[in-house]
Amino acid sequence: MEVIRNFPDSELVANLRNGKKMDESIKTIYRSYFDSLSWYVMNNSGSRQDAEDIFQEVVVNFIDVVQKDKFRGESSIKTFLYSLNRFTWLNELKKRGRSLKREEKYEHEQDRVELDTSELMTEREEKATLTNLVAKLGQTCQKILILFYYENLSMKEILAVTDYDNEQVVRNKKYKCLKQLEKMINERPALKKILKNLLHG
Amino acid sequence: MDNFTPDISEKLVQYLDGELTGNEKEELEQQLKSYPALQEKLDTLLAAKESIRLYGLKQKVAAIHHIIMDESEKPVKQINPVKRILRFSIAIAASIVLVYGAYMAYIFMTLTPEKVFAANFQPYELVTSRDIGIEDSPALRLYREKKYSEVVGLPYDSNSTIEEEFVRAMSFTELRNSEKAIESFKHVIASNENKSMKIYYDESEYYLALNYIRNKEYKNGLKLLNKIKENPRHLYYDKVSAKLLRKVKMLEKR
Repeated sequence: MEVIRNFPDSELVANLRNGKKMDESIKTIYRSYFDSLSWYVMNNSGSRQDAEDIFQEVVVNFIDVVQKDKFRGESSIKTFLYSLNRFTWLNELKKRGRSLKREEKYEHEQDRVELDTSELMTEREEKATLTNLVAKLGQTCQKILILFYYENLSMKEILAVTDYDNEQVVRNKKYKCLKQLEKMINERPALKKILKNLLHG
Repeated sequence: MDNFTPDISEKLVQYLDGELTGNEKEELEQQLKSYPALQEKLDTLLAAKESIRLYGLKQKVAAIHHIIMDESEKPVKQINPVKRILRFSIAIAASIVLVYGAYMAYIFMTLTPEKVFAANFQPYELVTSRDIGIEDSPALRLYREKKYSEVVGLPYDSNSTIEEEFVRAMSFTELRNSEKAIESFKHVIASNENKSMKIYYDESEYYLALNYIRNKEYKNGLKLLNKIKENPRHLYYDKVSAKLLRKVKMLEKR
């Protein structure tokens, strides 16, 4: 039976930043904040599915912010997630051509929390475009690239969890997959600007 | 399409992966400064790496999302209404048993012979309606005046009346001398043997039982109390309650 434990804010941020105990930490975020954050979406024209999708996006963005050292800890995780959730949902509504007047007013009057979450929203589309490219790669390429660049496994470790003959074959495959992704990016000139924003923004 | 050689492309990927060291690394960094197109190519690779990292993170969160949603959607096992009532009743009964058990345990632990004695003892008051012109004996007078030490200090002999012997026994009881009280009450009871008119007999049995309890002679006390309880015509029949018998039995078991 799984032992459920919740981390205090400082420990949670440290875990996410260092990539340690990721599963437990993400579960803690879900168990602590999903109900209240999804309630906000569902009470503002959103469905249950909307609430789940927005929350997933909020968690990914939060971890990304923490791992890039942009979470300064001036507000609690709860406050930060609430802000992120609200902005993400309003952004989604705008994208769908709907808006909540009351919420727009609220958005303008509300003090900016922690870092400018609207900046994150500008990146929202850009990040979605980039990750969609990875999704277009074949399953094998996705697996090898994620094991190497996200899970930070060595070639030897990747060999152990795949069917390749030796490390060099894995290395070659990984190189080809990366080049394939590079090619896909190059085929989309509009992405060049996004890349500059993301990398040097 | 880019115009870079496969060799430099490989070098860039090695640089991206942190595998270039020493001169090779310095040489490539020089080329990056000199050729913006090469830097742009590296930026593309960096973006590719970033998109993989983000995609990996999205997948990780999505996997946990499904686990959490599955947990929250697990149906709550419906309990048959009859079973629910039965369980509820059993729970209430168990709670009552538990509370009663705790209460009994408390009583058992704190029960003392003195407490049982005090809860059932009442000072005995002599009847005052006397024939005019007849004076109380010194023992009865002193007893009425609650001078118990003086009562027991009076000489006792075969000429003493049963009434005097009874107040002597009651005085020992008041003075918390149960051994002497037991002895005196036994004399009162023995003096009544074979007499059609019994004097202070029922009173002596009850107070003797109480003195047995205070003196920790529970078996003797219980025997007398049970005898009283079996006789509805006994003067102290109503005084011997089930609660008193239960408490004496508890004292006996300790």
